[in-house]
Amino acid sequence: MSDRIPVDPPTSDTRRDRVERAVFAQLQTMRMADRLDAVVPAAARPRRAWLFAGMGALAAATVAVIIFAIRPPAETAVAEHTDTTPSRVVTPVGGTSQFTVGDAVIIATSDTNVEVKRGADGGTTLVVARGSVDCDVPPRGNRPPFHVIAGEVSVEVVGTRFTVTRTPAARVDVARGKVRVKAPGGTWLVAAGESWTPQVTALRTEDPAPAPTPMVEPMIEIDQTPAPAPAPAPVPAPVVAAPSPHVAYQAAVRLASTDPAKAAKAYRAIANGKGADAALALMDLASLVEKTDRDGALAACDEYLRRFAHGANVEDVTWLRIDLLRTAGRRDEARAAAVEYLRQFPNGTFAGDAARMRD
Amino acid sequence: MFPLGSVGLSIVERPTPEGEAELVAACIAGDAAAQRALFRREYPRVNATVYRIIGPARDLDDLVQETFIAVFRGLARFRGESRLSTWIDRIAVRVVFEHIRARGRTPVPFVIGEIEDASTVSEAQVHARDGLRRLYAVLGELTPEARTAFALYAIDGRSIAEVAKLVGVSVVTAKLRIWRARRDVMKRAAADPVLAEIVQGRTGRVMTKAEENEAS
Repeated sequence: MSDRIPVDPPTSDTRRDRVERAVFAQLQTMRMADRLDAVVPAAARPRRAWLFAGMGALAAATVAVIIFAIRPPAETAVAEHTDTTPSRVVTPVGGTSQFTVGDAVIIATSDTNVEVKRGADGGTTLVVARGSVDCDVPPRGNRPPFHVIAGEVSVEVVGTRFTVTRTPAARVDVARGKVRVKAPGGTWLVAAGESWTPQVTALRTEDPAPAPTPMVEPMIEIDQTPAPAPAPAPVPAPVVAAPSPHVAYQAAVRLASTDPAKAAKAYRAIANGKGADAALALMDLASLVEKTDRDGALAACDEYLRRFAHGANVEDVTWLRIDLLRTAGRRDEARAAAVEYLRQFPNGTFAGDAARMRD
Repeated sequence: MFPLGSVGLSIVERPTPEGEAELVAACIAGDAAAQRALFRREYPRVNATVYRIIGPARDLDDLVQETFIAVFRGLARFRGESRLSTWIDRIAVRVVFEHIRARGRTPVPFVIGEIEDASTVSEAQVHARDGLRRLYAVLGELTPEARTAFALYAIDGRSIAEVAKLVGVSVVTAKLRIWRARRDVMKRAAADPVLAEIVQGRTGRVMTKAEENEAS
């Protein structure tokens, strides 16, 4: 009998043919959309993306913007940035379109209606009337600005990876770098690990209108500038709340595959706290650095076993520690730890491995 | 044990490396026939892998479609440093993982196959579907990382080393994720006879010698 759980997929030629048709129709659509770059006015286009790849690879960062908009956008403050004839991309339900504008690569996903505008300064503005766009944009620095607008919310790329969701309320979660969020009531610079929530917008509606002039760096550090609330209104929450340990942990997990060094720092910071996320962060820190810093990984395991002796993952961490000792060539210590593992977890998930190591 | 599906497996003849390289080159050059040949060759495995991670959800075809779009759009970047099938599987796993992560830990509507006449569905099939629903309900409560690793290992039958390669983590991390998920699944199965019937004796395999060698 096979070891695997028997789950066999539904297959039929009809189903396969349907997917095949959709794939190749979509590829055709995308090839057409690729040519949009030649259609979109390329005012002051700086350079082709491949030149950036060669010259600015170190500075390049992935910027992912996902905008979900369910209503046509209201008039927005950044409309003045655009002064050339716009182009519009509309994708059907189930389809996607990829196109480039200047140095940005944009994917409009299923059922999306997005207008692309170029400014005289070379800046780009995407106005999402419906659906979502996924943008890969190098950090702006001295490059022309890049904006994404969904309804009354505007997101300006600074150089980061972040997600903006509007289903229907807007929420911005920044995993890396910074974004500038404009909404009725204010403008906020949201940094890695921070979140901008719709409640924040409501709290800020009592604020004076934001200055009409473009904002300059450094932007408002939201969590240090809570909005003044008129009495007897309740004390406003911070506009950008510090992420919960769980949100911070999830961000660190995402970071682990792209920037292990930063992820390790993030795990360490979370591990300094309390609770389940601190325990998980400590374990993941050990896993993350097991190849690059075995002593650090062992220290993290030891710290976990000391601080979270009754934690949910004691067995995992115990085994990870044994594995680290073994790969470090500390055979006697590994064998002793394996014996101890078998004593604690005689029917444990690694019992077979531990028994082989002991013997 | 009730069968959970009636799909027969067929052996797909793999081309020689030269043939594969030629196929890839033709696809990159825009040869529609080559692209369709590649699609038809890879579809069964991609469809199976995606299904075994996501379960019986309406998103199956969309995710398979998204995978192949990414494959064809990225084929020019394939350097032949791994097998083409491995490269494609990594894309499929990433697509499904991102989907699960974006959706969060919410159970999905149970969908299987096309709408059919209820009178033709046997009791065994109903039982099997119930088991499948329970299995993926449990998986839906796991973290995306644990769910993906567990499904690849325990359902798709990959080795731990393969799982590590596909999800881009170390073997130890993959192993921890799998066993963490296994513990949750077995805990639920202990109180659910239908679920227990499916997973009984099928999630507990430890690393084989071959897997250990591969890992080291």
